[in-house]
Amino acid sequence: MKNMLTYRSVFLVLVWSLLYSAGITKVNAQEGEKNSVRLKADYVKIMDSISYINVTAFARIDKETVDIPNIDLIFSNEFDGEEMELGKVTTNMHGEGKFILKNLNVLKPDSSSTYNIYVSFKGNDKFKRASKSLSFKDASIKANLVTKDSVNYISATLKDIATDSVLSDQLLNVQVQRLFRPLRIGEEFNSTDENGTILVPVEEGIPGVNGNLTFEVVLQDSDDYGTVKALVSAPIGTPIKDESTFDQRTMWSPRNKTPLFLLIFPNLLILGIWGIIVYLIINLFKISKSKI
Amino acid sequence: MEVSNKLVNDLAPQKFGKKGVIWTTALIIISVAGIIAYIDQVRKGQIVTNMNDYALWGIYISNFVFFVATSFVGAVTVAILRLTKNTWRTPIVRIAEIISVAAIIMAGLTIMIDMGRPDRLLNLFIHGRMQSPIIWDVIIIPTSIAVCLLILYFPLLPDMAILKKYYSETKPKLSKWYGRLSLNWTGSEKQKSIQLKSIQIVALLLIPVGFMLQTVDAWLFSTLFRVGWDSTNMGGYFISGAAVAGIGALVAVVFIVRRAYKLENYITELHFDKLGKFLVLTCLIYLYFNINEYVIPEFTSKKEEVTHLNHLYSGQFAPLFWFVNIGGLIIPIIVLLFKKGRKPLTMFFIALLVVVGSWWKRFLIVTPTLLHPFLPVQGVPESWHHYFPSFHEWTITIATLAMALLIITALVRYLPVIPIQRTADEQSLIESEKKAKP
Repeated sequence: MKNMLTYRSVFLVLVWSLLYSAGITKVNAQEGEKNSVRLKADYVKIMDSISYINVTAFARIDKETVDIPNIDLIFSNEFDGEEMELGKVTTNMHGEGKFILKNLNVLKPDSSSTYNIYVSFKGNDKFKRASKSLSFKDASIKANLVTKDSVNYISATLKDIATDSVLSDQLLNVQVQRLFRPLRIGEEFNSTDENGTILVPVEEGIPGVNGNLTFEVVLQDSDDYGTVKALVSAPIGTPIKDESTFDQRTMWSPRNKTPLFLLIFPNLLILGIWGIIVYLIINLFKISKSKI
Repeated sequence: MEVSNKLVNDLAPQKFGKKGVIWTTALIIISVAGIIAYIDQVRKGQIVTNMNDYALWGIYISNFVFFVATSFVGAVTVAILRLTKNTWRTPIVRIAEIISVAAIIMAGLTIMIDMGRPDRLLNLFIHGRMQSPIIWDVIIIPTSIAVCLLILYFPLLPDMAILKKYYSETKPKLSKWYGRLSLNWTGSEKQKSIQLKSIQIVALLLIPVGFMLQTVDAWLFSTLFRVGWDSTNMGGYFISGAAVAGIGALVAVVFIVRRAYKLENYITELHFDKLGKFLVLTCLIYLYFNINEYVIPEFTSKKEEVTHLNHLYSGQFAPLFWFVNIGGLIIPIIVLLFKKGRKPLTMFFIALLVVVGSWWKRFLIVTPTLLHPFLPVQGVPESWHHYFPSFHEWTITIATLAMALLIITALVRYLPVIPIQRTADEQSLIESEKKAKP
């Protein structure tokens, strides 16, 4: 009996040692091989609204691109050899973060009126430290709707704010906001003229809720200015006729939206028939009480 | 009216002989086998059936439709013959009422068997939508059960009192039960008045309830916009088909009961002749609806419908289709049109043919349509295009049929299958008429 206990104890100790050592090796392997983080940052400015920086953190692990969630990214403004911390963003489950610049005035540009943003990650147990620099100048788009000869046009002018000069030969996209992705209108490439302006006709019959359309004029991923977007709303669309029966009483509605006919008529029938059945059952009682 | 001892001796329920005991035992064994198979189905889920993504209704639903159809016999024979004052109905109405009760109870149970989660039955009432034909069915079936029980019970009251007296000395315990069920029946004028009025009301009620039941059953299919089901003909088609199935079942049961209880003096060849005429009439009406349903659409319908019809005419279901229509409808019509064909034994075999044809007819209504979906899924397994019930499905279905026969057998064993008091009244009326003649 004693021998058996000894053998059993030795066997358990061996198994435990094997499993423990395997676990330790795995943990050490993880700690020993930190992965590199790659950062991607884009500047977006929406006229008369906010500006922000979209940042994405990812890594190549086992030849696959993996999003890195829950890491803190620090945003700083670099100017004249100085660095001013702006704030911090934690990436979401897709490795994305959005740093909102409420006001560009808080940033200081360098001598060429360029804003330099430095995004850094300090590193952690699994990933090495990483950083990314982003530079952009401030540009503006002034967009409005004009009507000439009963044809509606979107007119937009692109300007460099620092120099207050118009920007020619820049490609602007004109599009209408839709539910899933915007609908491009006009020609494929709308290049600004010497006045920094484009004029894009708006075709008729574009549907919109109550006829309202929201146009976007976009300078997309410019090397100098990032993405700049101006929005114009105008009631020039064809009103969408709501053909949904969502809130109506139909055969395919939920039970609280049963058609009234189906509520009244069958229930009257049911009540009528069951009323007679109850009457007949009462008659059975009457029979049992009417011996004589 | 005084009832003679001979009449009560003849018509009182009799103890089963050897054959009766074997028959009942066999039905109980089959029923138990079905219950075991059903428990296994509930434990393992409907994976034990051969139903699939295409054939999502199978033999259970066709069996359910058959039971619903058969229960229509009460409305057809009891209510209609009563309201049209056909006096020959007396010896057969109670059997019709018994079949109705058995069939509608089993219809209710069968629909539950088809449910993957029968424990959620209450949800049909709690969360049911009035727009759904399933809910109409859930409402009309309990209603039909109530009406069928009432049409069986009211005319039984005087007979229960007679049996209470009859068995008072020989079987006091049984006599006590009959006494309770007779509801203190003494045959007083007041009792008679209430009873007759109630029978008249329930007979009237049975017709709309029967029509509603069959029509709701038809709408379960026709509201689905599917090839073979999407038909405005469906309500009338189901009602006429139900009349055929119901009267077919009635003839078969009447023949067996007549032979087993030796009731040849009460259920005569005249009754079979009348039932035969009634059956051939319903078969002719059903044939008319079948022509509307199957022949005319062949020339007028769109491609999907014609494909479906051709599948029935010459596809995998063709042997069954032709058996159902020729064996279950045309041969019975031809045979029953002749007086010799309306003799009891011939009628019995014809009735069996009609009942078997009616059962398979429901299978043909349910299955082929499901195997041809409007939007066929690409690359589905070949097995989805075919359906044949599994061992579990057959066992459970045969057990439900056995249970229906068991209910009929139990009621036939303990209730007078021919109304004693009414027969006595009629005999007395005939005698008084004879005396009155010079």
